[in-house]
Amino acid sequence: MGEYFMVVLLDDQRMSKIRGTGLEEHIKYMFGGELRLLEVKVSEELKDKILQEFDTARVDSRGAITDVPVAFMRELFNQVAEKKSLGSDVVEAVLAKVDEIKKAAEKESEYLPPPEIE
Amino acid sequence: MSRFLIQRPLPHGGRLVERVITDKEAAKKMIKGCPSYDIKPTLHYETGVPVRNVYREIMSICYGFFSPVEGSMKQAEVERILKERRLLNEWIFPYPLVFDISEEDYKQLGVGPGDRLVLNLKGKPFAILDIEEVWRIDNPEELAHLTFGTPERNPEVVREPFNKKHPGWVIYRSLQPVVLAGKYTIINEPKFRSPFDRFWYPPRKSREEFDRRGWRTVINHQTRNVPHVGHEFLMKCAAFTGDVEPCHGILVNAVIGVKRRGDYPDEAIVEGHEAVNKGGYIKPERHLPTIVLWDMRYGNPLESLLHGIIRQNMGCTHHMFGRDHAAVGEYYDKWATQILWTKGIPSYGFPAPPTDVPYGLDIRPQNMREFSYCPTCKEMAYSETCGHKREKLSGSFLRGMVAEGVQPPSIIMRPEVYKVIVKWWKHFGYPFCNEKYVVNKEKELEVDLEDL
Repeated sequence: MGEYFMVVLLDDQRMSKIRGTGLEEHIKYMFGGELRLLEVKVSEELKDKILQEFDTARVDSRGAITDVPVAFMRELFNQVAEKKSLGSDVVEAVLAKVDEIKKAAEKESEYLPPPEIE
Repeated sequence: MSRFLIQRPLPHGGRLVERVITDKEAAKKMIKGCPSYDIKPTLHYETGVPVRNVYREIMSICYGFFSPVEGSMKQAEVERILKERRLLNEWIFPYPLVFDISEEDYKQLGVGPGDRLVLNLKGKPFAILDIEEVWRIDNPEELAHLTFGTPERNPEVVREPFNKKHPGWVIYRSLQPVVLAGKYTIINEPKFRSPFDRFWYPPRKSREEFDRRGWRTVINHQTRNVPHVGHEFLMKCAAFTGDVEPCHGILVNAVIGVKRRGDYPDEAIVEGHEAVNKGGYIKPERHLPTIVLWDMRYGNPLESLLHGIIRQNMGCTHHMFGRDHAAVGEYYDKWATQILWTKGIPSYGFPAPPTDVPYGLDIRPQNMREFSYCPTCKEMAYSETCGHKREKLSGSFLRGMVAEGVQPPSIIMRPEVYKVIVKWWKHFGYPFCNEKYVVNKEKELEVDLEDL
């Protein structure tokens, strides 16, 4: 079956947390260098588990798993930084906290603070 | 005049269905002494969440979007659609459309063939249903499977059995058992609330608007999404089809109805498309965002057939179709819609494309692949012409970025469009459709009604 992945977007704050971890060499640049990101590998089995646990989750045309709660994405970055890894172990560690994530997601399904833009 | 010029097609079925009474006094006389029924949303058979409101179908039928359909279908018509995707008058049509009520409501109403039933919406008379037949849906699960197909029966395009994760399947699975079949007539025109009011161009009005703008050829862009730059390029480049010159107009027709959680709110979708022309990325003179009311069935090739019907009725000469057209999950082949429009799908009753069968469509398909960002060309590039490795654009990826509070680079989403997203995010406290949005929307709907 196909390969799946999840994208971790990197802003300046996140960049400071992975500096010196060896992950920097895996940073990908998209859209003319305007976006920095890391890709975390996801096995077929873990992909199915994510889709089962989060009914908004979907697999996009690139094989990326998207539309999971923001809490999931935050934890995904935390685990990447902690484990200094981009392998399936990262997603396994996130899924080990699924109840905690779902609890946080319940609140964020009601409200997400909008960004302040001009 | 060049013999290559393309003329605007007639409505599907040969004439526009228009079943709207605008004379209030006449309407009052029509409903005098008739029993009435408050339209109820169809609720998910397990969760109780609204999944459909038949008022949207009544609107789309009576204003002609679904011509030549005139009402809630009789049993023989539904059976024929499920077998051959044809109405009893031979014209092709993809889906059963019925007015369904519970046994309890049916007993309480005490109506039957020959009766006129007044349908109330938001407590006001809205439409009438002249009942011609009463029939029952014995097995809604079977109806749902027959509506969409199965991998065994439709091996050309169905890849997985449909189930409760498919929103369209859920709609049919959740129907009530008693069907009142007959023609609808709107007797009290609803008024659209802002922002939907300025995007309401039912077929007669859209055809008049095309005339006013001098649009002979018009290509439709189907949408249920806020536009990213990939969509914008799809529209711009697909419009280069046409006849002796590119299409005069690009009609954006947004499907407005019950949405999946995670989709953008309808308000952001329509204003997002408007922002594309307000920002000048496509000239307003060439671009017209509009709406149609319909609770999406996500039937990929079947949905594309309905889209072809709607847009031909609106007066379009061309319709663009892409990958995973009106799809959800992996139930269908990614290119099922393009297979239908290029070769046909015999198991659905189409041994040839819907434009090449008797009583078929005249709208021309423009089957498109994808646009994505090419770092070598340093621009949005078409998958079939750019020879470089490109960075795919995906709506889901963008949604993730938005949810995390990261403004997408302007090369993939125009800042004007992002501002629209944030405007409605502030309004609803959330950038996407959530349970609260869906429940509130189904209470408020898109329209209000005056007293009759």
